[in-house]
Amino acid sequence: MVPISYYLLLAAALFCMGMFGVLVRTNALVVFMCVELMLNAVNLTFLAFARMHGEGTGHVSAFFVIAVAAAEAAIGLAIVIAVFRSRGSVNVDDIRTMKH
Amino acid sequence: MDGSLVEFFRTAPIPPEVFSPSLGLIILLPLLGAFVCGVFGKWLGRANVHLVACSAIAGAFVLSLLAFWATSDAAGGRVVSMANPFGLERDTIRYAIAYDYGTWFAAGDFRVNFGLLVDHLSGILLLIITGVGFLIHLYSTSYMEHDDGYWRFFAYLNLFVAAMLTLVMADNLVLLFVGWEGVGMASYLLIGFWYTDSAKAWAGRKAFVTNRIGDFAFLIATFLLILTVGAFNRQADPRDYNAASTSRARYEQGISQKGPVTFKGLEKLALALPEGSGGAVSLATPIESGPLSGYTFGGVMTSIMLLFLLGAAGKSAQLPLYVWLPDAMAGPTPVSALIHAATMVTAGVYLFCRMSALLVLSPTAMATIAIVGALTSLLAALIAFAQDDIKKVLAYSTVSQLGIMFMGVGMGVFWAAAMHLMTHAFFKACLFLGAGSVMHGNGDETDIKKLGGLWKEMKWTHATFLISTLAITGIFPIMSGFFSKDAIFHGVHHNHLHGLEWVSGFVYVLGLLITASTAFYMSRVYLLTFTGKRSPEAKLAHAHESAWHMTLPLVILAFLAFITFVYALPLMPRTGGGTQPVFENFLSPVLRPAETVARVAKTVQLDTSSPSVGDYAFAWMWALAGGAAAAFAYLKFFPSRVGQPVPAFARAVRRTALNKFYVDELYEFIIIRPVKFVAFILFRVVDALVIDTVLVRGTAYVTEKVGLGLRRLQTGDAQAYAAIMALAILGGAVYALVQVLS
Repeated sequence: MVPISYYLLLAAALFCMGMFGVLVRTNALVVFMCVELMLNAVNLTFLAFARMHGEGTGHVSAFFVIAVAAAEAAIGLAIVIAVFRSRGSVNVDDIRTMKH
Repeated sequence: MDGSLVEFFRTAPIPPEVFSPSLGLIILLPLLGAFVCGVFGKWLGRANVHLVACSAIAGAFVLSLLAFWATSDAAGGRVVSMANPFGLERDTIRYAIAYDYGTWFAAGDFRVNFGLLVDHLSGILLLIITGVGFLIHLYSTSYMEHDDGYWRFFAYLNLFVAAMLTLVMADNLVLLFVGWEGVGMASYLLIGFWYTDSAKAWAGRKAFVTNRIGDFAFLIATFLLILTVGAFNRQADPRDYNAASTSRARYEQGISQKGPVTFKGLEKLALALPEGSGGAVSLATPIESGPLSGYTFGGVMTSIMLLFLLGAAGKSAQLPLYVWLPDAMAGPTPVSALIHAATMVTAGVYLFCRMSALLVLSPTAMATIAIVGALTSLLAALIAFAQDDIKKVLAYSTVSQLGIMFMGVGMGVFWAAAMHLMTHAFFKACLFLGAGSVMHGNGDETDIKKLGGLWKEMKWTHATFLISTLAITGIFPIMSGFFSKDAIFHGVHHNHLHGLEWVSGFVYVLGLLITASTAFYMSRVYLLTFTGKRSPEAKLAHAHESAWHMTLPLVILAFLAFITFVYALPLMPRTGGGTQPVFENFLSPVLRPAETVARVAKTVQLDTSSPSVGDYAFAWMWALAGGAAAAFAYLKFFPSRVGQPVPAFARAVRRTALNKFYVDELYEFIIIRPVKFVAFILFRVVDALVIDTVLVRGTAYVTEKVGLGLRRLQTGDAQAYAAIMALAILGGAVYALVQVLS
């Protein structure tokens, strides 16, 4: 039986990597992958706690997160493709439209 | 007179109870006239404006006549009377009609009603205002015939009459103050009527600002009175109310219905305050609670009356606020006649006659009023000696005559002051209109040194001017002015203020000097203007007589100035034996409370004797001396010395008098300069620096700079935003950890 703190530490490490990636990588696709990494880190905690308590709520939440992440990835990729078509790059630094 | 004629005069054409609801019409008619002339005057054309303006005043005059008749109604032997709202059931006000149009505004237990009251005092004022007002309107139709702003002029004139009628008909202080401010505004508008000339606009402004000082004092006095009435209600006991022939319930009911500053209620207060009434409250009683606690009723009453004196000094051009009236001659001449001679400037005298019952509670205030009046009168007379502008002389003469009225009021001869108010309205209006007629016929020449010899060319103007001059000077004693002035001086001489006995002698001596001075300067004006040879410096070779619109009012006013002396003849029986002058008898219903208070409080000893022939002869001698001196100087002495140099001393004296004893310069130095300096400091430091720079532009500056700094944070980079959010979450987490671990 692995103690729960191992799982949580692993999840925290994964989450931090994901967050770091989101904040510093410039390629939009990589940013998306890092977002998935963060979501999966959270899923890991859900499952670890579900296992610990021995009930199904955590599993349901994990599936829910996976479904939402898939939908979000679809929309995000569509945006990324649209941006690529209009600008010819997927570099996040070039997209400063929030300034206006 | 046979019985039927007496019965005719004693029966009002419209019975008082039928007429009283229409009292408001007297004010409304001129107001409507002002509205029509002011708004539609440009399209109506000259003739229609004349028609509207004159008929509004004529209508008001007819209504005033009916109102006046109603106040004297004694049909079937029953005198017109009304229940006193502040007194017991048996307490009635005789010879008065009133109508209350309901509450104007109320706050807490303070209430002001739109109540109108016409008794013999306000009745006679109504007749003067509307009667003289109508004559002056008629005169103006000819005087202003070449002026493009005629419709404005008549609108203002009507507005003035409406405000003045409000002033005299008001039955409480607040409504009186509305009229008080209204006449001030109309006066300002009319003095500065030719506003394109900046000097004239400034004269209007000067009048307005000077009057504001007085009005402020008036307001404070009103507030103090309200507080005093409240304090009296808290402290009085039944005997106080008994002395005023009322009861607590009735008095408080009156106050809750009519408000605390109604004149009839203030009369009750005055009747309850003297020591002789034996109640809990007298003049020496300290006020126990409220903002005035610690002061005595008498002390507060004195300060109230002194504040009213300052207010009246503003309106009635007494020291120290008289400086605006001579400058007010910048307006058209009919304005000087109506506002600055006959009606508005007498508002202060009217106010003190209205409040006479309260005034006699305070000998200090009365002495101050009498002395201020006497000094003003003398100063103005001395300045008038050397003025060469005919309107300026008449203006200073007005200040002087008003001073005489104040002497009368201050020494408790209220009826004589009111009578002098009336006679002065007639002859001074006539003099001013005569001066206007002279200007009209001589190409607007106002310098009396450049006129002369007009008696041949302007016969009507000359005759009326002569009659009015004789009336004001008293050189010919069977004239109104002589009798009304002498009634005042007789009263001044024989009345005594308790504790200030020296005042009457002092003021009386000044009065004799004033009589001689008045005779001198008025004779000088008359002689220089109408007699002798035509001055070589005259603008026109031949003067022409004015149109009948101008001479008819002159004739009527001159006749009135002559005939009103009968009011001063002691023809009426006095209660308690003897006789009393007609006018005193006529005003006695109004002034009786004051007499009662004076008798009970022993503050003023009111003398009731009539002047003897010897007294009249003595007064006449003074007037004659002044007139004779003027006649000698201007008919014999100066014409014989033409071309010879004037001694330096005489030149210096004349220059000082010509410059009005430098009072204006003194005010400039003592008051206006420091105020301007303070204003400059306030402008530079408070306004320009603190408010404009620091507060207004400072906020803008700070906002702008903060914006400039924050602008750098908005890069549009989503990752940077997310980084900040992450850092914030991290900070939050660290903070939570610290909290948990500690």
